[in-house]
Amino acid sequence: MWGSQAGFGSLVKGVPSFVIPSVPDPAAFLRLHTDDHADPSCKIKIQHGTTTLAFRYQGGVIVAVDSRATAGSYVASGTVKKVIEINPYLLGTMAGGAADCQYWETYLGVHCRLHELRNRERISVSAASKYLSNLVYSYKGMGLSMGTMICGWDKTGPALFYVDSDGTRLKGNIFSVGSGSTFAYGVLDQEYRWDLPDEEAQELARRSIYAAGHRDAFSGNTCNLYQVKEDGWQFIGNYDITKLHYDGPGEAPGNGYGYDIRVEGQTSTDLPATAGQA
Amino acid sequence: MDSIAHPTQRQFNPYSDNGGTILAIAGADFTVIAGDTRQSEGYSIQTRYAPKVFPLTDRAVLAVNGFAADGNMFVKKVKQRLEWYRHAHSKDMPLRAIARLIQTMLYARRFFPFYVYNILGGIEEDGTGAVYSFDPVGSYEREACRAAGAAQSLVQPFLDNQIYFNNQQPAPGTSHPVHLPLPTILSIVIDSFTGATERHIEVGDGLEMYVVLAKGRGVQGLEDVRGVQELSVTEEGERIFVIRRDLKKD
Amino acid sequence: MDNVYRSSGFDFSNSIRNHSLAEKGLPLPKATSTGTTIVGCVFKDGIILGADTRATEGPIVADKNCEKIHYITESIRCCGAGTAADTEFVTATISSNMDLHALSTGRKPRVVTAMTMLKRHLYRHQGQVGAALVLGGVDVTGPQLFTIHPHGSTDKLPYVTMGSGSLAAMAIFESSWQPNMTREHALQLVTTAISAGIFNDLGSGSNVDACIITATGTEMLRNFVKPNERVEKERKYTFRRGATAWKSESIRKLIVNEQVTPVAGEAMDVS
Repeated sequence: MWGSQAGFGSLVKGVPSFVIPSVPDPAAFLRLHTDDHADPSCKIKIQHGTTTLAFRYQGGVIVAVDSRATAGSYVASGTVKKVIEINPYLLGTMAGGAADCQYWETYLGVHCRLHELRNRERISVSAASKYLSNLVYSYKGMGLSMGTMICGWDKTGPALFYVDSDGTRLKGNIFSVGSGSTFAYGVLDQEYRWDLPDEEAQELARRSIYAAGHRDAFSGNTCNLYQVKEDGWQFIGNYDITKLHYDGPGEAPGNGYGYDIRVEGQTSTDLPATAGQA
Repeated sequence: MDSIAHPTQRQFNPYSDNGGTILAIAGADFTVIAGDTRQSEGYSIQTRYAPKVFPLTDRAVLAVNGFAADGNMFVKKVKQRLEWYRHAHSKDMPLRAIARLIQTMLYARRFFPFYVYNILGGIEEDGTGAVYSFDPVGSYEREACRAAGAAQSLVQPFLDNQIYFNNQQPAPGTSHPVHLPLPTILSIVIDSFTGATERHIEVGDGLEMYVVLAKGRGVQGLEDVRGVQELSVTEEGERIFVIRRDLKKD
Repeated sequence: MDNVYRSSGFDFSNSIRNHSLAEKGLPLPKATSTGTTIVGCVFKDGIILGADTRATEGPIVADKNCEKIHYITESIRCCGAGTAADTEFVTATISSNMDLHALSTGRKPRVVTAMTMLKRHLYRHQGQVGAALVLGGVDVTGPQLFTIHPHGSTDKLPYVTMGSGSLAAMAIFESSWQPNMTREHALQLVTTAISAGIFNDLGSGSNVDACIITATGTEMLRNFVKPNERVEKERKYTFRRGATAWKSESIRKLIVNEQVTPVAGEAMDVS
């Protein structure tokens, strides 16, 4: 614990140790004080609620997430970074406990670097995700909560794995995680093709997060978009979901995703502009 | 009411809520970190002066809120680690490193959390004002402003409107300022706390505002402030000031 | 269904359901509860009642200047603590019944009458009407002061306090109350007792209301002391015209132009 031995500096010696309350069932103790689903008046509110998605396509991997964190019905933050930049070739997404994802994916970054130093080559996405999966599995039943996608590019090309705190690890082409995932899947499944051009793939991811932000109360605020290519990941942009609704992603207004422009002057509640004038 | 005595399970409960509110706002080359000084439990005031804001280094200030015993112990441990760092490296730990240190210290208690909401404010190595906010188990983020504690849900929407200009359209042909000047931010902080005192029973008694100024920035904006007190010993480097105000005591 | 026996008063049939729902984590909607300091004290010429003016919903101040000293009759008043709606309605009901009682008996009703009406009402409802009251007044028998608890029990004492600030206020009474105090001295004592509640109990706050009832008349001192005026704001919060975003705009004339066409006969004589 002396000087730089503190914090992640001491991690080389192995998995860090955690303080456990001296009660018969520590997991039940933790649940009693932190589970706001079972008890909305619990004191320690761990932030929840999310929409994240990632998909593989001919141009690499697209990763898109919303930026809302909720504690109960309170919007605790609208500017959360739910894409965790593990290293220049690996991205992780955040769903479930914000601290669990941030901490363990940072920790994973440390071990990916150690792998590079030991083996003189970058870790494969498969190995990295398995490292994380095995790690959280060793804490199974203790109360960790993560649903994450490990995205990257390795020798095998674009790669995407889903890892969660139950111990599930899946390889796949399309994943969406979080309370808004059903809304995102709806849009994603409809338009997804392997041979999507880069522009269209980005637009599909944006449109999917928008749909979740629009319909899911626990998702919203802004959309963060990333793309993984052969030379590593690249941040595409941050998009305000309200602005996407009214004006669309570009600078020029009038390309909103909202249905207002599609129904203008056609419904009884939205009469042509001239009708209301005296 | 209950004529039959039901068996009730008692559980180890080490937590309590001591009320109060903290807040921090970052400017271009300064940061303001503030908190009220009331400590309460239930309907009783335990003390009218219990500081919740603590200077850590010459350029970092930590505000803690939630369970006071956990908060005080946590600040003590952070200060200890910062002293060890000073002995090992002959310099103060940079702000972003303190933020990461706080994350690892909070996460070490993932299965027995500190019931503490932390807000760290100060000056970054590049001379910009910064605010880091944490949840009780260590997830953190750099922001421009953040309120936490009992009156979080009263103060944060006000800050969103006045600092981020949420729900305010700029006048045609203009745009909102990215950073506000120090006197404006001090006024907004004072009004946040007097407002929260009016409508939240756990907020009141006193207000402590710490102002951290970047290296080389003059004291402009602080000259006319009543009762400002400098904590830093030298005018070289970053400077810390504290401003104390009374809040209503009912 | 008509000939099925139904008891009068509140229907308790849902209370078991509500209890089981509450256990499943679905609590009943919270009624505004006035964490309160209310007091009453006897002095040489009559009664002084006192109250703070804060109404809370959980930790939030719902009303900074509410009235907790309720009218029963001209010479009887009642301070209420507990569920705001219950204290409001129970005192209004009894006030009305006291009027009817006065009309039917042809006499000025006594404080004990109001006290008995209140305790019977509260006992009948088994604590479901959450009113904790301080009842005071002057009648033919002299000054009278009572407390009434939500379940219907009563006390008759020379100085009383109730609500979340009752301990803070009682501390003042216990150390400084004396028999046969002057009006000025008693009013000072009541103010100090309420102030103790205002400053030391989080459920109480804002201003001191007092009510002095003597044989010669009743004096309601609304906001007798205001020790907690809001300080002036540092900034002005006015918004520029056009600060709110809008989706569409339509302008209509609100004044309807009406043209009156006389059909027949002469114009009405309006002189």
